Amino acid sequence: MSDAESPNDEFEPIEVFPENETPDLRPGADDCYKCSTCDTNCPVAEVDDDFPGPKFQGPEQWRLKRKEDTSVDDSISKCSNCMRCDSACPSDVPLSQMHNTARAEYVEEELSKTSLTYWRNRILANYRTSAFFASKVPRIANAAMNFGPARWAMDRVFGITSEREFPAFATETFREWWEREGGADGSRERARAARERRGEDADAEKKVAYFHGCYANYNTPEVGKAMVRVFEHFGYELVVPEQRCSGTPMFANGMLDDAERHAEVNVSSMGDLIEQGYDAIASCTSCSMALRQEYPELFDIEGIDELAENTWEALEYLRVQEDLSGELSAATVEDENLAQLAYHAPCHARNQGLDGQALELFADLAGVDAADVGDSCSGISGTYGWKSEKYDTSMKIGEEMFDHMEDVEGEVGMTECPTCAMQMEHGTGYEIRHPLEIVESALVS
Amino acid sequence: MGTRTEVLVIGGGSTGCGVVRDLARRGVDVTLVEKGNLTNGTTGRMHGLLHSGGRYAVSDQASARECIEENRVLRDIAGHCVEETGGLFVKRPEDSEEYFQEKLQGCRDCDIPAEVLTGEEARAREPYLAHDVEKAIAVPDAAVDPFRLCVANAVDAENHGARIETHAEVTDLLVESGEIVGATVRHASGKGPREHGTPGEEEEIYADHVVNAAGAWAGRIGDFAGLDVAVRPSKGVMTVMNTRQVDTVVNRCRPKGDADIIVPHETACILGTTDEEVGDPEDYPEEEWEVDLVIDTLSELVPILQEARTIRSFWGVRPLYEPPGTGTQDPTDITRDYFTLDHAERDDVPGMTSIVGGKLTTYRMMAESITDHVCEKLGVSATCDTADVPLPGSEREGDIEAAMERFGLRSPVARRSADRLGSRTEDVLASCDPNPVVCSCEGVTRAEVRDAIEQAGTDLNAVRLRTRASMGNCQGGRCAHRMAAELHPEHDEESARAALDELRAERWKGQRHALWGEQLSQAMLNHALHGATLNEDGDPARTGASVEWDAFDDGAGADAEDAQGGSTAGGDAEGAHGD
Repeated sequence: MSDAESPNDEFEPIEVFPENETPDLRPGADDCYKCSTCDTNCPVAEVDDDFPGPKFQGPEQWRLKRKEDTSVDDSISKCSNCMRCDSACPSDVPLSQMHNTARAEYVEEELSKTSLTYWRNRILANYRTSAFFASKVPRIANAAMNFGPARWAMDRVFGITSEREFPAFATETFREWWEREGGADGSRERARAARERRGEDADAEKKVAYFHGCYANYNTPEVGKAMVRVFEHFGYELVVPEQRCSGTPMFANGMLDDAERHAEVNVSSMGDLIEQGYDAIASCTSCSMALRQEYPELFDIEGIDELAENTWEALEYLRVQEDLSGELSAATVEDENLAQLAYHAPCHARNQGLDGQALELFADLAGVDAADVGDSCSGISGTYGWKSEKYDTSMKIGEEMFDHMEDVEGEVGMTECPTCAMQMEHGTGYEIRHPLEIVESALVS
Repeated sequence: MGTRTEVLVIGGGSTGCGVVRDLARRGVDVTLVEKGNLTNGTTGRMHGLLHSGGRYAVSDQASARECIEENRVLRDIAGHCVEETGGLFVKRPEDSEEYFQEKLQGCRDCDIPAEVLTGEEARAREPYLAHDVEKAIAVPDAAVDPFRLCVANAVDAENHGARIETHAEVTDLLVESGEIVGATVRHASGKGPREHGTPGEEEEIYADHVVNAAGAWAGRIGDFAGLDVAVRPSKGVMTVMNTRQVDTVVNRCRPKGDADIIVPHETACILGTTDEEVGDPEDYPEEEWEVDLVIDTLSELVPILQEARTIRSFWGVRPLYEPPGTGTQDPTDITRDYFTLDHAERDDVPGMTSIVGGKLTTYRMMAESITDHVCEKLGVSATCDTADVPLPGSEREGDIEAAMERFGLRSPVARRSADRLGSRTEDVLASCDPNPVVCSCEGVTRAEVRDAIEQAGTDLNAVRLRTRASMGNCQGGRCAHRMAAELHPEHDEESARAALDELRAERWKGQRHALWGEQLSQAMLNHALHGATLNEDGDPARTGASVEWDAFDDGAGADAEDAQGGSTAGGDAEGAHGD
C-alpha cells in the first residue's frame, strides 16, 4: 500500500487497557468478509432458528458495539463454546475469543449476581469445587446426587436437568492412586527401567508434566492411570503438578475471573516445569485446548505463552516423539469388549487438528475396529447440556451422533472428551472409553 | 405555463436544506430542487465532523466562535444526528509546543471548553494513540451524520408545506427583463419521489426569489444568467476504515496540513483529508497517492491504522469562495467563511441571491442569515425558530428498551436503530412484523428500509443514506439485493433491478480505492456471490434468454399436477431472508 515507515513498531494495544476492562476486539472484525461459513458450521444454529449464529455473536456484534454503551445481546448465552467456528473460518477471525469476551461482559453487566441462573452457572462452571468435596465421600455423594426427589428439585428450582444421571465419583481419585504408586519418584524408576528395556539411553531426558484435569482425577481415574502407564511404557518420567480447573467450563459460562484465578495456579506450576524442560501433556482435549489457545487469548500471565507453546495432547505427543503407530500395528488387543469402537471426535480435538488421529492410529491395530461416527458435535459442550433450558437443544444436536453410533456393531464408544463421553453414554447407553485406554490395552500388559 | 412558488432554493445540501426548513417554518411557500439525492454534492462527501471550533481557534477566531455556538445548538435540535464523541488535538514530539499553546489560548479566547491531557491520559481515553504522543487538548468536537441532518431538515420543511424535488436538475435560469424569475428544471423520472422507468420531464418553476445554494456548483448556476460566482472548488479525499480505531475525534495539533483528522462515524472511522484546487467539481482525478498519504500520515497518530482494513475512499469538493481580487494561491489559505451574494446589489440582476463558502457545522446559522435576507425582500416578518425547535426525530431520544423488548431486536441492532431513528423509533419499528435484519453489517431492519423507501421511492442510494444499509464492511455485497427486494410489490421488477444496479455501481465507486488486503477478499467474494449464487452474469430475467423449465424436477414430494404451476413461478426467488 505504501512504503512509508511505520513509526511505532513496538506498539502493543492490549497492554494499555486497565485490568478488568473488556479488551477492544473490534479490530478483529476487519478479518470477516461475511461469508457465513461459521454459521453453517455452528451446531447450535443448525437446530435453533432463534440463535443468530457465530457471525453475529462475533464480528458483527463487536463491530456494531460501542466502547461502553451497548450491552451484549443475551443470545450469547446460547453459544455452547464448541469453537467449531474457529476452525471453520477461512479468514482467521478470532471468533471464540470474541465470544468468550462478550459472554464474560454479558455475565458481568447483564446477569444479576443474585439470580439463580448466575449461581447455577457459577456452580456448574466450578465443577472442580463440587467434585473436590464429593470425592471426600464418594459413595454418599453418588447416592445423594442421583436421588430422585433431589434431582427433581434441582431441575425445577435450579435449572439443572434431571434427564441426565450425574457421573459417579471414583472411590479413589487419580491423585490418591498416583501417591500410592510412589508419585514422581516411582515414575522415575519405572521410566528408567522401561528405557533400559527398550534399549534406549537410560539417562535420556524424557520428562513430561501431566495435566489430568478434574474429570480424570475425580471421575475416571482409569484414564489417568492409562496415561501414566502408556507414557512410562515409552520411557517417560511423569510429574503431576499442582493444578486447578483448566477453565473450559468457566469460559463457557462467562466466568472469566474464576477462570483467571485457576489459570494463575496452572500457569505458575506448569510454567516452572516447562522452564525445566518438561512438556505439558493433557489427556482431555478441552484442557489442552484451553492451555494452548484460550489462555494466551484471554489472559496476560507471566509464562502463559511458553506454556501454550509446549502443551500437547497425549497421543499427539507420542505420535510425534515415538513410533506409536509402528508399535500399535505390531500389537494386538485381546479384550473383546474393545473389538468394535464407535469413535466420536470432540469439537475441541477437531480445533487442534486431532480429529483423525485415533482412527489412523488404530487402523492397523489387531483386535480393534474403530469406526468414525461422523463429524457432528455431540451437543453437550460441557455444562451446556446440563442446563434444563438447553437440554433439548443439546439432544437435538446429538441426534446425528447417536444414530451413527447405533449403526456401529458392539456397544462401546470412544472419545477423548469426558463430557462428550457423558453425552454418548446418555444417548445410546454405550460404555465409553478413552483412546489412551485402548493403547494401554494394546501395549501395556 | 409553469409552476409558481414564492422561493425556489437550488441545491439539496446542508445549506439548501437549512434554508428550505427555515423559510417553510416562517410560512413562506418554498420549493427545493436538487439534481441528485439530498447531500449529493459536498455535504454527503465530508468526514462528518461537528466542529467545536478548535480547528479554527488560531487561524480564524470568528469562525471558531460561530462553530462552538452552533455545535451547542445542533446537540439540542439534532440529537439523533449527533454523536457526542469529544475531540482531541494531539501533539507529537515533532509538533511545535508554541503552536500547542496558541491553540489552547485560542480555544479559551473563543469560549471553547479545552482541557490539557498528558500523553497517558490521552491514551487512557484512546488506547490506540501512538505511545509517543506527548499531550493533547480535549475539546467538545462531535460526529454528525450529514445525511440524517439534511433529511430531517427536508422532512420538517415538507411538514410545513414545502416541496422537495430530488433528481431535479436546473438546466437554465428564467430571466425576464433583466430579472431572474425562476428556473427550468429537468426531472429525471417525473415529479415526486423517484420511480425508475418513469420518463423524465421538464418543468418551469417561477419564483419571487431564487436562492442559489448549489455550493461548488453555484458558479454554473450563475453562468445561466451571465453572473460571475467565482467558486474555487477544492478536492479532498476521505478514507473509510472498517471499524472504529478511536471513539474520539483525533486532530493533529499543528498549523495546517493534509491528513490531520480521524472522525469516528457510526461503525467506522473516516480519515481526512487533502486539499487541492480543481477546475471542475465533477471531473477531477481520484488518485491513489492521496489515499496512501492519509493512511500513512494518520498512522503517526494511530499506528494500528497502517494494518487496519479500509473499506472505501471518496472525494469531496469544498465550495471555497473568496471575494474577487483576493488572489489567494494555496487553497488551504482560502477562508472557510461564507458569503451572501445579493445579485441585485452586486450585479444589478435582481431576483436571486447566492450563498457560497461556509461549512456544515454552521449550516443553520448560514440558513438563518440568508432566510432573513430573503424574508426582508419578500416583506415577511416572521422570525427564525430553527435554533430552538428540534428536528423531526430529535424531539426525544430513541427508546432502546422498546426496540429490544417490544420489537424483539437484538441489543446492538436495537441500539443502532434507536440512534438513527431517534423519536421515530417506535413508530417505524411498529410498522413491520416480522421485521428481519436486512443489512447485518449496520444492523438495519426491514422496517427502517421500508420507511426510507416510502420517503425516497425507488432510489436505493437515498435509502442507503437514510438507513446506512449497505454501508458496512461488505459494502452491499450481502444486502443490496435484499434492499431491492423490499421495493416489491409497490414498485415493479424492472424498477427494482434498475435501482439495484444503481446502488451497486455507487458502492463499487468507492471500493475501487480500497482493493487490497481484506477488502479485496471481500470484493472477490461479492463478485462470486453475485455471479454464481445470484446468477447476475447470466440471469435470463435480464438477458431475455429462454429458460428450459422442463429441465427442473418438481422437488421432493411434489404432485405431478402442481409441477406445471410451480415451475413457471421462477423470477422472484431471492427474498429478504437470505441468511
